[in-house]
Amino acid sequence: MIPPPAAAKSFDELTLGHGVSLEDLIDRDALDEMVKSFHELFAVPLRIFSDEGKLLADTAQQIPLYAFLSSVKAGRTALQDVAGKVKNLELSEAGSASFPCATGENYFVSAIAYDGKNIGRMILGPFISAALSEPPEALLALDSGLDPARLRELFRTIPRAEEDAVVKLARHLGRTLDLLLFSGHRALLTSNMHLASVRESFRELEDKNEKLQTAFDRLKELDRLKSNFLATVSHELRTPLTSIIGYSEMLVEGLAGEMTAEQHEFVQTIRDKGEQLLQLIKGLLDLSKLESGTMSLRKSQADVLSVLRDVAMTVTPAARKKEVEIAVEVENGLPLIWADAERLRQVFLNLTENAIKFTPPSGRVTLSAKLTSVDAAHPEDAGGLVILSARRTAIEFRVADTGIGIPEGERSRVFDAFYQVDSSSTREAGGTGLGLSIVRRLVDGHDGTVRIVDNEPRGTVFIVTIPVKRATIG
Amino acid sequence: MQLDFVNRELTIKLVYYGPALSGKTTNLQALHKAAEPGASGRLMTLETKDDRTLFFDLLPLTFRGQGGLAVRLKVFTVPGQVIHASTRRLVVQGADGIAFIADSRSNETQHNTESFMDLRENLKQHGLTLKQMPLIIQFNKRDLPDVRSDAEIAELAAKGREPVYLAVATRGIGVVESMIGLLHLTWSALDAEHDLNKKFGFDSAAFLAQVAKKLGNSQPIAQILQACVGGALDVLRPEGCE
Repeated sequence: MIPPPAAAKSFDELTLGHGVSLEDLIDRDALDEMVKSFHELFAVPLRIFSDEGKLLADTAQQIPLYAFLSSVKAGRTALQDVAGKVKNLELSEAGSASFPCATGENYFVSAIAYDGKNIGRMILGPFISAALSEPPEALLALDSGLDPARLRELFRTIPRAEEDAVVKLARHLGRTLDLLLFSGHRALLTSNMHLASVRESFRELEDKNEKLQTAFDRLKELDRLKSNFLATVSHELRTPLTSIIGYSEMLVEGLAGEMTAEQHEFVQTIRDKGEQLLQLIKGLLDLSKLESGTMSLRKSQADVLSVLRDVAMTVTPAARKKEVEIAVEVENGLPLIWADAERLRQVFLNLTENAIKFTPPSGRVTLSAKLTSVDAAHPEDAGGLVILSARRTAIEFRVADTGIGIPEGERSRVFDAFYQVDSSSTREAGGTGLGLSIVRRLVDGHDGTVRIVDNEPRGTVFIVTIPVKRATIG
Repeated sequence: MQLDFVNRELTIKLVYYGPALSGKTTNLQALHKAAEPGASGRLMTLETKDDRTLFFDLLPLTFRGQGGLAVRLKVFTVPGQVIHASTRRLVVQGADGIAFIADSRSNETQHNTESFMDLRENLKQHGLTLKQMPLIIQFNKRDLPDVRSDAEIAELAAKGREPVYLAVATRGIGVVESMIGLLHLTWSALDAEHDLNKKFGFDSAAFLAQVAKKLGNSQPIAQILQACVGGALDVLRPEGCE
């Protein structure tokens, strides 16, 4: 991260009106030029001070009378006194004040305000009224060493101006300055924003890079763990199981000699249960992969219809055996969705197999898909409902059966691993209790939702909703 | 918020957020036009290209309340286009209240959503949530064809938390009401946090009425506040306060 330059003012300081100074907003040289040009035009001397009393611009015109007065001590004292008083003159509510000197000249002081704050002052003067032809006694009596004739002569060289005209000049100058200050402020903010935006973008990239690096390191580590785990489990569990199933099969097929009907049935049971155990191990592997986050969803543009048709085709033999009818109803013109087609197939295969399992003969299982829209609102931060509701396009899948149904109170629990609605040992349907939990995790991985409603007149509908597009933010 | 005790000055930062071309700058222009001279400074527009804000607009408004407290409102807009994310994040930092300007047209709904999610994300980056932020939502451009209906917005607004305003910023309709609603929520939140009314002997209702008047709306303040079509104007107010 780049630290901000020490002298740079923060965005708040620059925009919220604190810390903006005259020197920040206006170029010193340009201000000096403007002041000189003003003097050329109106002949009234002008000086501009910052809020801290620093002289920023001056017409720098030597006033002959003042040069003459400086030649004696009393003159120097009088001049210093005037300079000090003018500089620190108390201003009226409207931000201005005039200062008539005892020696006949006048000064007019006006505040320079920007955005409602005084950031400096301008001093116009000295000037004398056109009506005043003779210097006042106070000037002539200042020091006996000064030649009165010379004083009179020099007094007449002081610029002539009437106070109300000077007030107008000051007002005009104030407005011109205000425009310059505004332009200066805007330029300052613009350059500041340029810098800040670049810095912010840089910070953002650095942040992302760091996160990517961390994620990459973690993935590498997980990948290694996953490989180890998978190798161990498949070897240690599946190898002996394959032998169990294999040998039972050989026994069933009579390769070790004829068996009695009862022996045949027992061995058949061993084989079936072995097969079931194998499925359970496969399911557990899936689940552990999903839980540890090592199952990567390979998302791409997937076709809804082909996924559902494929599922229907796969379960058709099992459905026929149970005399359950399978139907696929997909709305025309559905968009492709951002999903892992293989995992999506697994979701609907699990749901469909489940549906067939709990549907009595001559029942019906329907797979359907249609376009819908879902809430984009985040559950954790419920603000902005009026803006967020009703805007994300999604596909709603339904797997409807005419089976035994799931009681209302059980619906939230069926997605827990190993949960069975009928957990009694005498239950009719088999299964590991892992299928729905895998379904839910896969649907979560697709940023989707799954819920259960009643089917009319009987049975259950599993509704899976998956957004069409990937989330743009967050 | 910046509080200058010595000069009895309070500076409040309000930000107009929303998707590109939803009328944020137009809102500021309408406020600028409606404001009495003296209450409003120059409207500063930074870097525009084809009528689109690149950095931000800034409208300073100054009001003097009871107890000699000067309240300076700095009203900002953010650039709406998606690519200016970092600028938006910079501008929204330190905001005391936010007006979300949504485009009423049905086909802009998605852009409103994305911008709102972006706002939430940017607040999150500054360690804030929408819940903590005084927020009003304005549906602008009500005069255009193909807008979401009043009934639809009212129905959604009734469910939501934020006060919702309808506006035609190009004609100045609903602009001041939105601003007063936002200022009301913002002041309530700041008062709850910093006890401003008590510290400065400040009457916020009278202050709001004064702001409304200086923005050209002389209706009673209760009536102006009722201009919103949903949400609650008192969510962030402390218990027992009127």
